[in-house]
Amino acid sequence: MKTERSMTSRERVLAALERAPVDRTPVCNPTSIATVELMDLVNAPFPNANRDPELMARLAATGYTELGFDSIMPVFSIIQESSALGCKIQWEQKDNWPTVKMSEPIWTEADDITIPSNFLTHSDTKCVLEAIRLLKKEYGDEVAIIGKTMGPWSLGYHCFGVEPFLLMSLDDPGKTHLALDRMKEATIEFGIAQIEAGADALTLPDHATGDLVSGEYYKRFLRDLHIELTERLPIPLIMHICGRTVDRMGFIAETGCAAFHYDSKNKPLESMEAVEGKISLVGNINNPETLFARGPEEITKEVFGNLEHGIHMVGPECAIPLQTSIENLKAIPAAVKDWHRSGSI
Amino acid sequence: MPELNDITNSFIKDEIDEFIERNDERFHLIEAFSQADPRLQDISAALIDGDNTTVDKLTKEALDVGFEALEIMDNGLIIAMSIVGIKFRENFIFVPEVLACARAMKAGMSHIEPILSASGIKPVGTVIMGTVKGDLHDIGKNLCIMMLRGAGFEVHDLGVDTSEDEFMDAVEEHGAPLLGMSALLTTTMPNMGKTIDTFIDNDMREDVKIMVGGASVTQEFSDDMGADGTAADAVGCVGLAKTLLEELKREQGE
Repeated sequence: MKTERSMTSRERVLAALERAPVDRTPVCNPTSIATVELMDLVNAPFPNANRDPELMARLAATGYTELGFDSIMPVFSIIQESSALGCKIQWEQKDNWPTVKMSEPIWTEADDITIPSNFLTHSDTKCVLEAIRLLKKEYGDEVAIIGKTMGPWSLGYHCFGVEPFLLMSLDDPGKTHLALDRMKEATIEFGIAQIEAGADALTLPDHATGDLVSGEYYKRFLRDLHIELTERLPIPLIMHICGRTVDRMGFIAETGCAAFHYDSKNKPLESMEAVEGKISLVGNINNPETLFARGPEEITKEVFGNLEHGIHMVGPECAIPLQTSIENLKAIPAAVKDWHRSGSI
Repeated sequence: MPELNDITNSFIKDEIDEFIERNDERFHLIEAFSQADPRLQDISAALIDGDNTTVDKLTKEALDVGFEALEIMDNGLIIAMSIVGIKFRENFIFVPEVLACARAMKAGMSHIEPILSASGIKPVGTVIMGTVKGDLHDIGKNLCIMMLRGAGFEVHDLGVDTSEDEFMDAVEEHGAPLLGMSALLTTTMPNMGKTIDTFIDNDMREDVKIMVGGASVTQEFSDDMGADGTAADAVGCVGLAKTLLEELKREQGE
């Protein structure tokens, strides 16, 4: 739906999250668009940009100031909560993300789960909160500031190890439900802190992907829990699950989340049909084959493909490869503007 | 020609009837199971059901009453894993179920492997597997390893964050004709190419077939890196490994 009123980037994103009229489709990144080129541009390299709030804010802001996106999302990796919970992190260098050492899990039983009293003052969670405050102060009401809080299924992978966690879900569903129920408190605590820091929306990655588990698994273990998260986190939530997810989009649409950030393995039309207008969709420009490996022409084609089917916000499908070119990333907002100028809406 | 009703184990009959749709696969499985001893079919059924306790018990019992280790492995365990692989490929089951079946396979093989090693029986082939340097993700790699072992390959798992030299040293140490590299992150995928270059620089490239895999790895990427192939999933990995092994043997005049 279109409005003739000219909107700020922030207004545009918040309207799209409600499926309200927009002046044009927003370009949104619920996940990282940090690149090596952008790090060099503003002198905010990894790994320090993941650990220093000023560098984090500076690098994140380039999404808006350099690339023309309508959102700023400063949480480039997925390690903050797990690090604060006690997981070991491999920090890497400028050209790689930090990763949780899932081969060294910190929990084996649901009773092992504790959220430390310093969860929000740990350097990695605190960095995000401070970065959000800096961005809010700098960019005020111009652009949507999107935070991120990892969901309990993803925390389960990190803290129990992927294989032990998945085996536990089969061997002892009751214990898995209990574990998820306890871990979700970390999701909520970090989410609320980011709301208080000034976030306009939160990405909620919770990787119950079709590459690993069935859609029925999502319904059994996560749908009701995600409903609770939408009730306890008073902010628009953008759920993110990688991979093939059409079979669970109907369940996701029932959670009350504002949007679902979807992967290129799912076509725009089938995804729109699956959610039946109950949730906004954001995505789904392919990262490795299009954004990283191809050029503006192929990117434009994918952007148009999303817009033609009424996708509510356009952006990369997931955290982009760090070597993606600025030229290619700029092609996304350029294509959105071209499409609207052509009178297609 | 053998028929479904020639299979004595009703669970296996139902599994084939319900989940095996391709004619060539149905034929192969019906033929195999119709000829398998009922005790071995019971082992297969327990493996497909992910029941490691029963697989462990029945494997030991089968050995105790005189079944050969190789026969138990081929006609009880490996044939069952082929059904697991098909169900996984067709999305009837997902990773948790595959992990349970692999655990059951491992329980059976814990009794079989010592016997086979002692008797000098060789595996189908030897594969070195690892996730590349800078990448700590391993679920995809581990699924491939489970399927490869389930198909009779000997697999040496180097784990995650594996350097070019570690890959090369392992291939050399084990005389492995196959190497499989995994990467989830697009930032680490180029390390596959670096590893292949290391093999070239050390005149080892001709002695090994190299597979690459990961969520973002395409055939085009595999070709650009100089790898010998990639597969879409763990089941495809097994097929690729067998194909590349045969290819290498032909090239080496075996």
